[in-house]
Amino acid sequence: MTEFHPNALCFGEEFPATGAPCLVHVEGHGLTVTVLSDADAGERRSESVPFSELTVSAGGLDHDQLVATWRGPTGQRTLYLKNPDVIRAFRQGAPDHLTIPLERAAEQVRQVRQRHRMVWSIVGGALLASVLGLWFGSDRLVELAVDRIPIEWERKLGESAYYDFLARQEVMKDGPAVTAVTEMTHRLTDPIPKNPYPFEITVVKSDVINAFALPGGYIVVFTGLMKKAESPEEVAGVLAHELNHVLQRHGLERIVKQLGFVAVVSIVLGNPPGLGGVMKQLGVELMTLKFGRAQEVEADLTGLQLLHRAKIDPSGMITFFQRLAEKDQGRVEWLSTHPMSSARADRLKVELADMPKQIPEPFTFDWTKVRATLGGHAGGSP
Amino acid sequence: MKSEILYPGAFPMVRVELAEGEHIKAESGAMVACSPTIDIESKMEGGFLGALSRKFLTGEKFFFQTLRASRGAGEVLLAPTVPGEIVVLELDGVSEYMVQKDGFLAGADGVTIDSQMQSMSRGLLGGEGFFILKMSGKGMLLLNSFGAVHKIELKPGQEYIVDNSHLVAWSTTTTYNIEKATSGWVASFTSGEGFVCRFRGPGLVFIQSRNPGGFGAWVRQFIPVTE
Ligand SMILES: [Zn+2]
Repeated sequence: MTEFHPNALCFGEEFPATGAPCLVHVEGHGLTVTVLSDADAGERRSESVPFSELTVSAGGLDHDQLVATWRGPTGQRTLYLKNPDVIRAFRQGAPDHLTIPLERAAEQVRQVRQRHRMVWSIVGGALLASVLGLWFGSDRLVELAVDRIPIEWERKLGESAYYDFLARQEVMKDGPAVTAVTEMTHRLTDPIPKNPYPFEITVVKSDVINAFALPGGYIVVFTGLMKKAESPEEVAGVLAHELNHVLQRHGLERIVKQLGFVAVVSIVLGNPPGLGGVMKQLGVELMTLKFGRAQEVEADLTGLQLLHRAKIDPSGMITFFQRLAEKDQGRVEWLSTHPMSSARADRLKVELADMPKQIPEPFTFDWTKVRATLGGHAGGSP
Repeated sequence: MKSEILYPGAFPMVRVELAEGEHIKAESGAMVACSPTIDIESKMEGGFLGALSRKFLTGEKFFFQTLRASRGAGEVLLAPTVPGEIVVLELDGVSEYMVQKDGFLAGADGVTIDSQMQSMSRGLLGGEGFFILKMSGKGMLLLNSFGAVHKIELKPGQEYIVDNSHLVAWSTTTTYNIEKATSGWVASFTSGEGFVCRFRGPGLVFIQSRNPGGFGAWVRQFIPVTE
């Protein structure tokens, strides 16, 4: 008695639902199907089926099995063949009326598989592209996500960080410096068509030479920066630059980039509520937010345009940037987030030369008087 | 290799007796206890890439453990993570089963485990993900379920409709289509997808009497939300 090595499953009335393991031989006239009639005793029973009684099709989960059916002595029989050798022998031995539909079915399977492969490679490619895109900071996707965030969200985010910060600072509530900065801001923002941001600006008493903008339109200027400025146009230049970080939503872009893929997807798919908690924690990090080089260039150039539209002399911006860079860089906070390079100044000069000339309108205040109210000049002692 | 299910019901455990030299592959974490003659090896079935793809694509654990009776005969006790029944199937070399990723508990060494990609629509709508495990070969296969296991026997051409979140395993002689559930089928706790599988025989379909996703959602409602 040799060991029984089944190569197919046979289904029928007297067989279990799993199908009976059976041994199929392809012979000249048809198939011989052997099943174990008594597994314990090793008894076998064979049944011969002529090709003429068979109908065949492709079946099974992946349509990769050869299904042969016929009427046996005890009712309908269904055979599931998977073994490639048996299938090959069947194709070779079977008459045309059986193999033609079979080849047709096989061709269909091949086509379906090819289509699956194609769809999968497209899906895989798209996934890979979007992952890689985000990995290398695809600005297109980030922009797409940022576009979905409403201004109120942005304002809430900036607002909490702004008041948190101001609570720890000595704020200048009024006086000539505040009036001057307010006038500059109005000059700059009033000509902006459809400006969605109600800008708020605060002067902080501190020798730190810095100014920054938070998402939603919250601007902080330190008196240290104002003391360094020899003309109001120089301060206005920094303000024009910072205002454009807000207008171009640079802060939001950075946040979206930092939060990464999941946040981007949830925003793009229209699920921003989940972002609330994350944004709260991000408030602190906003202070140290460093913009990308492309964003700085954009803020410089749009800042220049803003100055032009406000009829403020844009050359002040360039000279101030350059003068700040000349002095010892370590003490100028603003330069730590805005590294000054000759390329940067050159680009601004070229841009400025291309702009139509106009006669600037002076501010209504006297800058030397404003500066005098700020206390001792930087470097001197009050 | 002999197996016996202890404490049948919600919290079963299975005892597998191994002769010297025999071994069994188990889902990592399934081993509860074993004789001192058993060595535990973490082996990456299907090589490193195979294991990696299983890990990322099916969510299956990176490693299967191989429990080998290398120093004499012994026994191992295995149990699944979730409460539910254990089913023993004997693979005969021709029968093959597709197993949903959480359904595998252990298999004799003659059992081959493959990650298989489903067709696009099945993967997208089926809820088991794009990848499922295909079990073939010869020997004992242990499956586990969430809740009790119910076996559906399908004759050739016979159809049956199953909520996809209750699927555990099915024979490869069956075929199925994903269909959008009619309103009555929409499970209240599931993610609301409401898709069902229409199976067509011949073959077996194993389903579980509880839906893990539904249970998870039910538990979540008692966990206070932290802001
Ligand atoms: Zn900047």
